[in-house]
Amino acid sequence: MENILEVNDLKVSFNTFAGEVQAVRGVNFHVKKGETLAIVGESGSGKSVTTQSIMRLIPMPPGEIKGGEILFEGTDLVKKSDKQMEKVRGKDIAMIFQDPMTSLNPTMKIGRQIMESMIKHRKIAKTDAKKRAIELLDLVGIPKPEQRVDQYPHEFSGGMRQRAMIAVALASDPKLLIADEPTTALDVTIQAQILELLKDIQKKTNTSIIFITHDLGVVANVADRVAVMYGGKIVETGSVDEVFYNPQHPYTWGLLASMPSLDAEEGELQAIPGSPPDLTNPPKGDAFAARNSYAMKVDFEMEPPMFKVSDTHYAATWLLHEDAPKVEPPAVVRKRIEHFKEKAGER
Amino acid sequence: MKKKLLLFSILLVFSVILAACGGDDDSGEEGTSDNSGDNGESTSDNGGESSAEQVFKANIASEPFSLNPSLANDATSSAVLLQTFEGLTRIGPEGEPQEAMASEIETSDDLKKYTFTIREDAKWSNGDPVTAQDFEYAWKWALDPNNNSQYAYQLYYVKNAEAANTGEGNLEDVGVTAVDEQTLEVELENPTPYFLELTAFYTYFPVNSKIAKENEEWYADAGENYVSNGPFKMTEWSHNDSITLEPNEEYWDKDAVKLDRIEFAMINDFNTELNSFKQGEFDWAGSPFGSLPTEAIPSLKEDGSLNVEPIAGTYWYKFHTEKEPFNNVNIRKAFAYAIDRQGIVENITKAGQVPAMAAVPPTMFSDNEEGYFDAVNIEKAKEHLQKGIEELGYDSVEDMPAVTLSYNTSESHAKIAQAIQDMWKENLGVEVELSNAEWAVYIDQLHQGDYQIGRMGWLGDFNDPINFLELYKEKGGNNDTRWHSEEFASLLEESQTETDSEKRTEMLKEAEGILMDEMPIAPIYFYTNAWVQDENLKDVVMSGLGDVQLKWAHFE
Amino acid sequence: MLKYIGKRLLYMVLTLWVIVTVTFFLMRAAPGSPFSGEKELPPAIQANLEAYYGLDKSLFMQYVDYLISVVKWDFGPSLKYKGQSVNDLISEGFPVSFALGMEAIFLALALGVLLGAVAALRHNKWQDYTAMIIAVLGISVPSFIMASGLQYVLAIKWSVLPVARWESFAHTILPALALASTPMAFIARLTRSSMLEVIGNDYIKTAKSKGLNSTEITVRHTIRNAMMPVVSYMGPLISAILTGSFVIEKIFGIPGLGMHFVTSITNRDYSVIMGVTVFFSVLLLVSILLVDIAYSLIDPRIKLADKKGE
Ligand SMILES: Nc1ncnc2c1ncn2[C@@H]1O[C@H](COP(=O)(O)OP(=O)(O)O)[C@@H](O)[C@H]1O
Ligand SMILES: [Mg+2]
Repeated sequence: MENILEVNDLKVSFNTFAGEVQAVRGVNFHVKKGETLAIVGESGSGKSVTTQSIMRLIPMPPGEIKGGEILFEGTDLVKKSDKQMEKVRGKDIAMIFQDPMTSLNPTMKIGRQIMESMIKHRKIAKTDAKKRAIELLDLVGIPKPEQRVDQYPHEFSGGMRQRAMIAVALASDPKLLIADEPTTALDVTIQAQILELLKDIQKKTNTSIIFITHDLGVVANVADRVAVMYGGKIVETGSVDEVFYNPQHPYTWGLLASMPSLDAEEGELQAIPGSPPDLTNPPKGDAFAARNSYAMKVDFEMEPPMFKVSDTHYAATWLLHEDAPKVEPPAVVRKRIEHFKEKAGER
Repeated sequence: MKKKLLLFSILLVFSVILAACGGDDDSGEEGTSDNSGDNGESTSDNGGESSAEQVFKANIASEPFSLNPSLANDATSSAVLLQTFEGLTRIGPEGEPQEAMASEIETSDDLKKYTFTIREDAKWSNGDPVTAQDFEYAWKWALDPNNNSQYAYQLYYVKNAEAANTGEGNLEDVGVTAVDEQTLEVELENPTPYFLELTAFYTYFPVNSKIAKENEEWYADAGENYVSNGPFKMTEWSHNDSITLEPNEEYWDKDAVKLDRIEFAMINDFNTELNSFKQGEFDWAGSPFGSLPTEAIPSLKEDGSLNVEPIAGTYWYKFHTEKEPFNNVNIRKAFAYAIDRQGIVENITKAGQVPAMAAVPPTMFSDNEEGYFDAVNIEKAKEHLQKGIEELGYDSVEDMPAVTLSYNTSESHAKIAQAIQDMWKENLGVEVELSNAEWAVYIDQLHQGDYQIGRMGWLGDFNDPINFLELYKEKGGNNDTRWHSEEFASLLEESQTETDSEKRTEMLKEAEGILMDEMPIAPIYFYTNAWVQDENLKDVVMSGLGDVQLKWAHFE
Repeated sequence: MLKYIGKRLLYMVLTLWVIVTVTFFLMRAAPGSPFSGEKELPPAIQANLEAYYGLDKSLFMQYVDYLISVVKWDFGPSLKYKGQSVNDLISEGFPVSFALGMEAIFLALALGVLLGAVAALRHNKWQDYTAMIIAVLGISVPSFIMASGLQYVLAIKWSVLPVARWESFAHTILPALALASTPMAFIARLTRSSMLEVIGNDYIKTAKSKGLNSTEITVRHTIRNAMMPVVSYMGPLISAILTGSFVIEKIFGIPGLGMHFVTSITNRDYSVIMGVTVFFSVLLLVSILLVDIAYSLIDPRIKLADKKGE
């Protein structure tokens, strides 16, 4: 399968009064046609900046793409002018934001918000656009779409609005859909529905999806592959199975341990101790070293390269170095992995 | 959809109203379109072209109270009425009353009866003849208490007029009779040596009785009902905005009239008035039509464009003579003498005002420029203060009751009051408090005796000293000072019957001497008219009273 | 909706009644009379005048009479200007004031929104600083000084516009500008801060992510939402224009209604004070209602009435 998107060594910084915030520090990943890539990481790890850089939605100034390339179907988006980007946004790549309460225009009818990008990119007549908007509302599971299409956002519930937002994003059949924490602001039952919907849509439309979340728990259901981000870098990447059943980076272990349980019976929830690094002044070695109980001397001195675990599975931790002592993930994590396997078997 | 419709209809209503107003505007523009042409040309007048258009433009600041001469009671109305109406007499260019509507005037020996013969060619602007009945009608109408004329007292010189006006007598008994169309007989209460000055005053003007009887509101607007008998007639009256006068073709002396049009604007802002003058939109700025902003006077003086003419008016402070400490003449004198009048006219009022050391203005008594005392005399003031304090039984100045100086709210009155407050403090060691109130409130306070020292001014109604002196003849009425002198009153009384004008003047001077010796009032300065005008404007007649007649005016 | 408007109208009548009552008694409590002059009038004439204008009745009866005349919308004769009724004064003065006010409101809105929008779109650039300097000037310079300044520069120095009077369209420009300056500055600041807030909103990012260009975003998404505070400022704007017109009409010699408001008080012209107050109050109350209706039309989130009413 060919890559629809390839991000190579992307570096993004913000120039603030406090200094240069190196929000993204050399990120590499790719997305294949029709697949879903999940980007996971704590808040502030650079997920949004990475994906908004793809859309070139980063405000400049203060933002700046310091280096790297973003190849979408082979052409580098970094080199495109703003005018050229307008032809990519909405048409080739669309985006869904975290908070459905604020990401829709409160004074514009839902229908018009959906139609806008169709009319702009597909150059179709208003009446046709409206028909399509109703179809889309239907597709995202909004009942009575003929009526809903003429309503305003405040007449929709939170979950409904996120569905509507998805309809907006899907309006001109994008090749890549970026969903930036689309369920974070919603309550749990609605979360599950939206995830189902995204999966469903992908099946129907074969769109590639980048799914961003800080919650590993939701990843297993939706993603084909996972990229774990920390401190503006990707620290581990692999297929869902590889990352869940065979995690290598201590940060991934931490995420797994702190995962809110999907099943009530499970106990022991451990947040990762400490706080994320200061990106104005990033640490020298492994950015996670300070919070890593397995950290070795080298972790504080040298940045680990991406060690290959399998053809599809890589992780940036010195623990994978041949000289490193063999360590097992902590017991909680091992328990969880067992649990995942059981559940997968059940299915 | 419904909402959209509603929004749309609101917008529609708004725009219709707007369009309607716009339409109004446009028609207004058309009506005055020849106007704007004039503007341009009169600007070039200022540039010195001599084949000038004979259009006079000035600002009268506000809407006149009434353009019915029987009701008018203000300078603004007067400024218009003097051009549009004419009395039995008119103050001529030399300042003396001349025959006007009357072609002949006979006076009885006892000065109590006048017989006027109305000019044969005297006509109203609609062609009606001006008759003796028109005068009789107008005067009696003004005296009729039902008509609420606030200036009816100007007619009290006529026999039984006061009684009729106050409801004690009958209108029929008033001493004005139209013997026939041409002959008007007037009987007076007392001999009145200055009666022919009075007949030039607007309350004595005639009214077209034929029209007034048919139409009570004839004077409310310009139009066919508004007829006048003077050099000009009113062709347009846009309330609160402008008045346009044009020559009256029916006027008996129409050949003397040179102006083709007079345009009075009503802008109640004197800076704007002066600015408009500088732009050539007015031919006159300042008194008596409008006024000059005080701040602008020094620079106008410097560039030589300022005109100053003394007029019959006195700015004075009244003392409440029944309240301590001003029930004592020495205290009154002390306060009066301690005022540096020269300083005030030079540094505060600045428009050529003359220090007043007398009550009657020099336009009436020419030697009153000198007056009865020094413009400031601190030594004498201190002496009088000491004497007064002793007489009232105080231990010292500090022992005196607190003194408050009142004035009606205005920047210039306040400046003068502050300066005088300083002078009294410095020269007499007396601390005086200032208090100001808005005009309507202030005048009530004064009339009710609720004051100690109060500012007031008097502008002559007619050109005779009696007009200033009789203010203090009786207690009450206009005499807020409550001062009374038998001697003063009887001198005024006697002067009425004195037929020899020199002797009469002497009597009046003697009376004034008493007034200035008793000092119920402290005169401060004599008023002036200050104005700037188009250099080519000639023969504007300004009387000693300060009012202006445009009958003979023209541009060179 | 209709039910709601009906309710509002009822409140307006109540408000008006309160205004009439308070004004009436305050006015009559003020010392000074409409007929007081330097020379005291003969008592007979004074009594006559008072009887003629009904001032001899008990204050309460006068009040009742006045309420009746308000209902009949007949404010009686002016006590100061002979032969003119208050209704005449209003019908002659109001069209002028209305035209001036509308022009000023239009200028304040158009220039204010333009200035504010430019400032927000060029945030922290020279355009922003320039616009905000203009706005600060507009707010801090009182309108009568602004009027004199404009008069001096545009009419006297450059002679491009007439100094004063109300004759042609050219005559309306300076007074309208002077009248509009403060509200314009206020609207500019309001628009700017509101625009900045809206620009930072997620839905603007959404709009951008759809591929709209900046004009489309500004016109379709930013302006309308940024206009909400401006629309809610319309009520205060109208009253600012109304009260501001007193000074401006005086300076420019405009025969509007504003100057009656001030001069009638110094003249103690009771009928004019009341007539003008009632008229301005009705005007203001109606405009506020219209603004509220307009607001609900622009912002779908605002409901005028409860659901039943819709
Ligand atoms: N406009 C900005 N100015 C300065 N710093 C920013 C800006 N936007 C994001 N950052 C910084 O970039 C880092 C990454 O942010 P983000 O990508 O939003 O994290 P997340 O992974 O939670 O989406 C954070 O440290 C954040 O403070
Ligand atoms: Mg984020």
